[in-house]
Amino acid sequence: MDHSKQIQEIASRLFAENKIDYFVGYRQNSFDDTQVPFLITDPAEIPKLVFTERSVFNLSNYLKPDHTKRKRVGLVVKGCDSRALNLMLTESQVKRENVYIIGICCEGVLNEKGEKAQNCVECVMPDPVVYDEILGTASGKREYIVNADIKELAQKALTERADYFENIFENCIRCNACRHSCPLCYCAKCCIDQETSTLYHGANTSSAGMHALMTWSLHLAGRCVDCRNCEKACPSHLPLHLLHKQNEMVIYENFQQHLAGMEKDDRGAFYKYSLSDPDDFIL
Amino acid sequence: MARVGVFVCFCGANIADFIDVPAVVEEAKKVKEVKVSVLYKYMCSDPGQQMIRDAIIQNRLTSVVVAACSPRMHEKTFRKALSDAGMNPYLLEVANIREHSSWVHQKDKKAATEKANDLIRMAIAKSIANEQLHEISVPVTKRALVIGGGIAGIQAALDIADARIPVTLVEKSPSIGGRMAQLDETFPTLDCSQCILTPKMVDVASHPYIELIPYAEVIELDGYVGNYKAKIKKKASYVNFDTCTGCGACTQKCPVKVPNEFNMNIDKRKAIYTPFPQAVPNKPVIDAEHCTMLLKGKCGICAKVCEKGSIDYKMVDEVIEREIGAVVVATGYDLWDPKPYEEYGVGRYKDIITSLEFERMVSASGPTNGVPLRPSDGKVPKNVVFIKCIGSRDEAKGIEYCSKICCMYTAKHAILLHHKVHDSHAYIFYMDIRAAGKGYEEFVKRAQVETAATYLRGRVSKIYKKGDKLMVRGEDAQIGQVVEVEADLVVLATAVIAPHENPALARLLGISYDKYGYLSEAHPKLRPVETAKAGIFLAGCTQAPKDIPDTVAQASACAAKVCGLFAGDTLKKDPMISTISNEFCSGCLNCVKVCPYQAIVTEEIPLGHGSKELRTVAKINEGVCQGCGSCVAICRSMAISLAGFTDPQIINEIVAI
Repeated sequence: MDHSKQIQEIASRLFAENKIDYFVGYRQNSFDDTQVPFLITDPAEIPKLVFTERSVFNLSNYLKPDHTKRKRVGLVVKGCDSRALNLMLTESQVKRENVYIIGICCEGVLNEKGEKAQNCVECVMPDPVVYDEILGTASGKREYIVNADIKELAQKALTERADYFENIFENCIRCNACRHSCPLCYCAKCCIDQETSTLYHGANTSSAGMHALMTWSLHLAGRCVDCRNCEKACPSHLPLHLLHKQNEMVIYENFQQHLAGMEKDDRGAFYKYSLSDPDDFIL
Repeated sequence: MARVGVFVCFCGANIADFIDVPAVVEEAKKVKEVKVSVLYKYMCSDPGQQMIRDAIIQNRLTSVVVAACSPRMHEKTFRKALSDAGMNPYLLEVANIREHSSWVHQKDKKAATEKANDLIRMAIAKSIANEQLHEISVPVTKRALVIGGGIAGIQAALDIADARIPVTLVEKSPSIGGRMAQLDETFPTLDCSQCILTPKMVDVASHPYIELIPYAEVIELDGYVGNYKAKIKKKASYVNFDTCTGCGACTQKCPVKVPNEFNMNIDKRKAIYTPFPQAVPNKPVIDAEHCTMLLKGKCGICAKVCEKGSIDYKMVDEVIEREIGAVVVATGYDLWDPKPYEEYGVGRYKDIITSLEFERMVSASGPTNGVPLRPSDGKVPKNVVFIKCIGSRDEAKGIEYCSKICCMYTAKHAILLHHKVHDSHAYIFYMDIRAAGKGYEEFVKRAQVETAATYLRGRVSKIYKKGDKLMVRGEDAQIGQVVEVEADLVVLATAVIAPHENPALARLLGISYDKYGYLSEAHPKLRPVETAKAGIFLAGCTQAPKDIPDTVAQASACAAKVCGLFAGDTLKKDPMISTISNEFCSGCLNCVKVCPYQAIVTEEIPLGHGSKELRTVAKINEGVCQGCGSCVAICRSMAISLAGFTDPQIINEIVAI
C-alpha cells in the first residue's frame, strides 16, 4: 500500500489550481521508519509527502480550527478517518466545500511492533465513506467483530470492572493528549475543564482521572470510529480503546447495529429517535 | 451571606399525621443560612402567606423555602406572596414533603420525617444558589384553530368567533356535523339531533369570523402558545367549491355505487357524493378510491352534467399555512369493533347489528326511512334484544373503562323502537344502569315503564340461530337463572373508543395521550380542558367518552380559555428557560436536533476576537423554549444552562444530602 506518488500529484494539482490553502498528509520521520502528520502551505514541500502502511494517524484531527483556521484544506483519509470526518461534517465542524478529501482504500496499518494494528484487524469499513477522489481498490464493508478482551471485560461484575478501570487509569496524568488527538473532541471548552464542573475538581487523584476519562468516553459513545489516535498520543500508554470498544459493543447490540459515522447526517446513536427503537434495556 | 426562611406546612392532617413537623422545623434551624424556621397549619391560606410576607421583611430574607405540597399545586401562590413582599418570586424553592414523603410513607413516621428533612435541606441548598428571574413577554396571534367539526368543534368555533376572534375550523370529512349528525333523537329529551345541530352548522358556514376548511387535515404544528404556525393539507375534492352550486346533478348521474359510511354501510352512495342532505358545505366531493374516471380514465359523466364546469379531475392536494395563537382539539370518537365476540356470532349472523347501525335505521332520514329492518330478510323485527357493555368494562376482550353513554342511548333505542314498531318488545341485558345526569334516571324509568322494556341484569353467554330467529342465552342474575330470549334482531351497544388517529395527532401537536389513545388533560379535576402544552385545549370525546351536554359544555369552556388567552396583546411567559453560552458552544447543533419545540436556531459569530472567520453556534428562541431541558442533557460542552435548574443549583442539592 504505497500511494505516495499519487498523493504528491494530487497535492501539486490542488495547489496549482488554487483549490486549497493547506494540505495535510504524512511525511517520513527523520530518525526511524515511522511517519508523522505533515501540514504544508508551500508547494515546494510536496515531494516530502508519503503514504504507506506506516501512515497511522487520523488526519481529520487537523481540520480543527486551531490547525487550519477553517480555511480550504486538502486531506488524506483512510476508512476510519473518513468516518470521523463524516461526523465532523454532520456536526457542523467542517464545511464540505472547504475540504478536498483524498480517500484511501486502506489495507490496514502497522503497529509499533510492525504487525497489523488491532483496530485494523477488527476494521468494519476500510474504504473511505466520504471523498472527492479515491485511491486503491474498494473492498467493502466487513462483519462487525468484538475482540475477546472486550467480551471478557463485559463479563466482569460491576465492582470488579470499576476496580479494574480505576487500577489501569490510575496512571492518567491528565495531560489531555487524548482529547487533543481526537478529531471529535472539538469543544471550545471541554466540560471537564469548566469552573462549574466540580465533579472533576480537586487533586489529581486516581479516581479523578478515571472519572474524566469515563465522561470523555461517554461523550464519544456512538461517535468513536476506533482510529485509536488517542492511544497513540497517550504518554502513559493507557488502553483507552477498552472504554470506547465497550461502548461501541453495547451500542451495536442495543441501537439497531449502529456504527459511528458510516452515513452522512448520522449524528450517532444517542441523537436520533425512532418509534421502532427497541427499548428493552430501559428499566 | 444568604438569609433563608423555611416555612413548613401541616396541610391539615395530610402532612402532620405522618411527619413530625415540629422536629422538621428544628432540624432546618441547624443550617447556618436559615434565619427563620416556622410551621403553620395551612401555609397556602391567607394568614400563612402573611406569615411569609412578614418574615421576608423582618428578617431581610434572600430566599424562601416552603415545605408543603407539590409545586404544581401552590408554587404560583407562594411566588405571588414573595413578590407581594417585594422579593423576586423565583427565589422561592418548594420542598414537596406531601406527595414525596407523607403520602407515600404513611406507615413509617420516622423515615418520612427523615426524608422530609433531606428534602428541606436540598431545597435550602438550592435556594441559596437561586437567581432572580424575570417573566418574558411574547406577542400573540389572535386566531384559533379548531381541529374537528363535530358538535364539540362547532360549539367551540362559534363561541370563540362570537367573541370576534377569527377561527379556522378544519374538518377531515367533506362536511361538518360529526357523529351527532348520524344520530336520530337525543336523550333525555328526545329532540331530533339534526334539528338542533343543523342550525349551528349553518351558523358556522355563515359566520364572518369563521374560516371553514372541510376535507382537510392538520399535518404540522410549529411554534408555541400565542404563536403557532399550522400546516393544513386540503385533500383534493376534484370539485371547485367556489363555483359549485350544490345542485346535485352529478351525484344523481354518477354510475358508481359505494357503501355509504354515513349510514354505517347499510345502503350505497355514489363515487361523487355529499355525505348527507344537510351537509355543510353542501358541496359534493369525489371519492378517489372508487371514481372510475380517476382510477381508469373512463366515465367523466359528472363533468358532463355539471353546468358550472366545477369538476376538475386534475385537482391535487394543497397545503396551506395559518398563523394561530391557540388550538382546540375536538376529534371525537370511534366505535369499538365487536368482532372478538365470536360466541355471539358477530360476523356470522346478519341480524346482529351495532347501536349506530340501529340509530341510522330508526333515523327518519336514514337508509330504511326510519323503520328498523332485519338485514337478513328486510322484515320488521318484533322482539329486539339490546346487549350493553360490548367492549366496555371488558378487560378480556375490550377495554376497562365504562364508555358512559351506552346505558342512556340503549334506553333511548328501546323507546324509539316502541315508537317505530308499536307491537315490538325490547329486552335489555345490562351489567349496571348508569344514569347519572339531569333527567337521566327519569328517562331510563320511562323506557322501563312507558315502553315496558324488559331489563335483564346479566351477561349474554351465547347467541345461536334457530330457524330465522336468533336465540339469545344469558343469565338473569336477579332470579339466578339462565334465560333464553327469541330475538328477531340483536343490537350490540359497542363501546366508545378514541379515534385511531389520536396518537399520531398527539405527536404532531406535541401533547400527551393515555393508554387508550384519549388525549390527556393537564389536570383531571382542576384543568380539564387544558393540555400540558400551553395554548392547546381539548373538547369532547377526544379526551374521554362524553354525552352531548358535557361535550358542549367542555367546548364552551375551551372557548372561554381561548378568549382568556387572547385578552391581552402579549403573553407572560415563565423565565425558566435555557440559555446558551457562545463561549462554550461548539456548534455541533445536536441541541437543534433534540429540541421538541424547534426552539433552537443558529447564529454566526466570529471565530475569535476580531476574527473575520465565522463559526456557527446555537441560539435559544426565548419565546419558543419551554424549559424542558433536553438540550441541557445533550450538550457535551455544557454550554447550555436552564434557568432555575443550573448546575450550581443541582450540585448544591446533591451535596446537601
